[in-house]
Amino acid sequence: MSQRVPVHVEVNGRGYDREVEPRRTLADFLREDLGLKGTHVACEHGFCGNCNVLLDGAAIRSCLMFAVQAGGRSVETVESLAGSDGELDELQLAFTEHHALQCGFCTPAMLLTAKQFLRENPGVTDARRIREAINGVICRCTGYQQIVAAIAAVAQAQQTAHSIRIETAPPVRVAQDTR
Amino acid sequence: MLAGGQSLVQLLKFRRCRPSALVDINGIPGLDAIERRDGELHVGALVRQQALLDDPQVAESWPLLREAAGFVGYPETRRRGTLAGSLAFAAPWAELTAAAVALDAQLDICSAAGQRSLAAREFFRGPGETALGDGELIVAVRFPAPAPGTGAAFHEVSVRHRDYAQVAAAAQVSPDGHGELVLLCVAPTPHRVDVSEALTRDDAIADLLGRLDPLDDVEASASYRQRVAPVLARRALRDAAERAHRRAPA
Ligand code: FES
Ligand code: FES
Repeated sequence: MSQRVPVHVEVNGRGYDREVEPRRTLADFLREDLGLKGTHVACEHGFCGNCNVLLDGAAIRSCLMFAVQAGGRSVETVESLAGSDGELDELQLAFTEHHALQCGFCTPAMLLTAKQFLRENPGVTDARRIREAINGVICRCTGYQQIVAAIAAVAQAQQTAHSIRIETAPPVRVAQDTR
Repeated sequence: MLAGGQSLVQLLKFRRCRPSALVDINGIPGLDAIERRDGELHVGALVRQQALLDDPQVAESWPLLREAAGFVGYPETRRRGTLAGSLAFAAPWAELTAAAVALDAQLDICSAAGQRSLAAREFFRGPGETALGDGELIVAVRFPAPAPGTGAAFHEVSVRHRDYAQVAAAAQVSPDGHGELVLLCVAPTPHRVDVSEALTRDDAIADLLGRLDPLDDVEASASYRQRVAPVLARRALRDAAERAHRRAPA
């Protein structure tokens, strides 16, 4: 089936009109049709999360979605993070400071997934919740520790910058009832 | 038929199915409702698995659904994957199939010929096999409300956190002591066990599960599953009973 259909997608704030085969995945569309190679594909079967991009602000697997399904919607890729002058954003800076990448293959997906987490949970430094958020992205190098530290550092900075007060959960009480 | 695509697109890529056409149902209005209707929870075909975790009514009245959904995939896949799709795909490890059977869900199935309803307890026929005929689509899944104060728990064992379940147990217990237990991967379909006795007698679980014929595959051996199943069953029932106790109106 090589018949092409028109699709309009907003990517990183800019509208694109292209004709694509219906079978084209969003990942291939971003990489091959738009030349945005920052979105990485590894397993291409939904297991590794390296192809994560934000669709209307929420992380999804771009290898499991067809480009035509993104029609009329807005996509954010890793290319949206740095400023137009190449200046890194706060999360990217934190990743470099905390050595949160080695080969860097998982980094675009990690950054975007973390981006969403920090937008929805500003100031949340709880490692358990950060791990839960990035749980779907596999990193084969770092052991995740530094990635969690980098995300927590940005969350910490958010607290200071916006004087957010995060209620810390009360300490777990051991049950006294020995029924 | 394409809804969330989290299983189907994988199959297409593996060339395990090669349909001549794919119909994307995402544009059909009205299929994305998750709401209480006549005391039941009505979940439209396009309701994403993540919605089961986010919806306050589910948390309040269908705790087992929420517990099970927490084990499904990752946030990124739950945001696309649907409940109905998970049931139609009928993977032996699919947590939501256990919840549907335990909660006695009804499936509304539609085709060009008309509409029919079928109980989840009759829907599953084997790994990846269901009662769904050619040209049929699940348009909604309906869950009757459990008794107020019902407690629920879901336990599973997998090689890696969030990987496919090797064995899973879904349980719910109502304040008056009525229990439901469904196990995954110990039979070709979600396996419902009569637990009326198990709630009062501690050793009953192993007896009840003794006649299992677990799957034997690359994820786990049959003998491993045979040994793990009673452990998970007991934990799930214990937690569900405890939660029912705590939720029970004073
Ligand atoms: S490339 Fe999409 S999940 Fe691995
Ligand atoms: S840095 Fe190499 S995969 Fe994460």
